[in-house]
Amino acid sequence: MSTLYLLKIDLKKMRHYRTFWIICGLYFFMLVTATASGMEFLKWLARTIEGFGQNININRIPLYHFPDIWQNLAWSSGLLKMGIAIMVVVSVTNEYTYRTLRQNIIDGLSREQFLMSKVLTNVLLSFTSMVLVFLIAVVTGLIYSPQFDYPYGFTGVGFYPAYCLEVFAFLSFALMLGMLVQRSGLTIILLLNSYLIELIIKENIDEYVPQLIKFFPLESIMNLVPLPFARYAFQEIRDYVTWESVLIALAWATLFNYFAYLKLKKSDI
Amino acid sequence: MNVETVLSIQGLTKHFGKLCAVNQLNLEVKRGQVFGMLGPNGSGKTTTLGMLMGVTNPTSGSFTWFGQTPTHLMRQKIGAVLEHPIFYPYLTGQQNLELNAMIKGATAQQIDRVLDVVELLPRRHDKYRTYSLGMKQRLAIASALLNDPIVLILDEPTNGLDPMGIAEIRELIKKIAADGKTIILASHLLDEVQKVCTHFAVLKRGNLMHVGPVDDVGKGEETVEVAAYHDDVADVLRKFPGTAGIKRENQHYLVTLHDGFHSAEINRYLFEHGIVAAHLQTKKKSLEKQFLEILAENSEPIH
Ligand SMILES: Nc1ncnc2c1ncn2[C@@H]1O[C@H](COP(=O)(O)OP(=O)(O)OP(=O)(O)O)[C@@H](O)[C@H]1O
Ligand SMILES: [Mg+2]
Repeated sequence: MSTLYLLKIDLKKMRHYRTFWIICGLYFFMLVTATASGMEFLKWLARTIEGFGQNININRIPLYHFPDIWQNLAWSSGLLKMGIAIMVVVSVTNEYTYRTLRQNIIDGLSREQFLMSKVLTNVLLSFTSMVLVFLIAVVTGLIYSPQFDYPYGFTGVGFYPAYCLEVFAFLSFALMLGMLVQRSGLTIILLLNSYLIELIIKENIDEYVPQLIKFFPLESIMNLVPLPFARYAFQEIRDYVTWESVLIALAWATLFNYFAYLKLKKSDI
Repeated sequence: MNVETVLSIQGLTKHFGKLCAVNQLNLEVKRGQVFGMLGPNGSGKTTTLGMLMGVTNPTSGSFTWFGQTPTHLMRQKIGAVLEHPIFYPYLTGQQNLELNAMIKGATAQQIDRVLDVVELLPRRHDKYRTYSLGMKQRLAIASALLNDPIVLILDEPTNGLDPMGIAEIRELIKKIAADGKTIILASHLLDEVQKVCTHFAVLKRGNLMHVGPVDDVGKGEETVEVAAYHDDVADVLRKFPGTAGIKRENQHYLVTLHDGFHSAEINRYLFEHGIVAAHLQTKKKSLEKQFLEILAENSEPIH
């Protein structure tokens, strides 16, 4: 079966599933509003907080100016990936609770194809997120940015493929967790707590082997698009994508999907 | 390998931890057979079928479909319902079948036909969640019939069906079998199995206890049910040279005959002794009886 056909199979399961539309709708709605409304938010702050507008001239904060906007929006959007990850968890754990995974295999899907259909949906969701945020960046940038200098204005566009990888790697993590745990509630709790768990481990080894920190899975995913806003407090930030971060995140994404594959391959379903 | 062999199982074994669910199973199913899989609860029927359909990984042993190592593509041509109907509850019957048709590589046109066969057309656009148990079973059978399967595997397909439904499924199985399709049927309804199956196998705690044609059931010694309103009837029956054993059951006697003796001879013998039988019926040994004998404690598994 072609990859497109496998994707179609998974989308067929989702297309008539109300929960899918609700979670996806909320996610993409949040993505648009959260990223597009930064300026309005600052204005609102200036209106409501006494003295805010006097101390800081909000129009001097180039949130939506080219080229700052690329990294700003890519980073902010990264915060919302948990929303779509929950959808991925629901989608895969449903297959276990309804036992439809079993029937899919009986009906003639191979285990690899089943996993592939889920991974392809993850690719689609990541890609759609990226395209959407990119379009918002272009539109809001044209609205708020005083000028666009070529090629300087494009500095940081490389964060979009990196953001796409960020979402995909995280969705791969969610998919793997869902297949290992097989229950939606527990998986979502684990997913939400995974940052905390990793943080505790990182804190404990930071003194001894700080050079290892960047290899942690969630850390490496966050590292793809580093926090940009420190630059408005005149701090040095990394405003480009490093190959190292891409390779580490890519390795983790591959591993997550490989673990999911191993689990599926050797278990009775 | 004979081309007529649809399924060949060699030494198939499945352990769940310490428990041996299927032990060294060897079995052959030929084209056109309606093959009954019998056995008490937990004897390993579903586990065996699960291995054949690629959802349960065998501990050891192997099997071939159509003489070839099994692949997922073969499963597209095998319609199977294992234990319970499984569908997406939030999809309608129609949408569930559309999805399964995609997986099996069947055309969407077949959906109307299979829904018609199981008489579910009027409810096709209702959510699966809202179906009654019998309707779920019917949908499962409809789904198994998609893509014109060469082999049909049914694990207790009449579970939860009304008597009419059971009779309909029996007719359906017969009809499908008449098309030359091979059917493997796991069931506890021995009556049904005797009516539709050509061959049967009996499992007990994972061991194969018996395999053979259904027609062989009831061959050999005959049992005759006799009732007569006469005080000496028991004595006379006991003296009859063909009697191997006699047992009283409710209002009548069950006489087991030696090979070569039949009910007509009993009738004549009784008459000669001045007794008129009020009731005389040859009992073909039922599959149920044979089944219970096979499962009796002292019997040995065959390997
Ligand atoms: N996933 C599993 N994990 C552990 N044990 C299992 C599992 N599936 C089946 N078993 C065990 O394997 C044995 C065979 O079970 P199986 O379901 O194959 O029986 P069956 O013949 O289909 O019974 P029934 O007539 O009740 O459907 C049982 O003892 C059962 O407890
Ligand atoms: Mg069973």
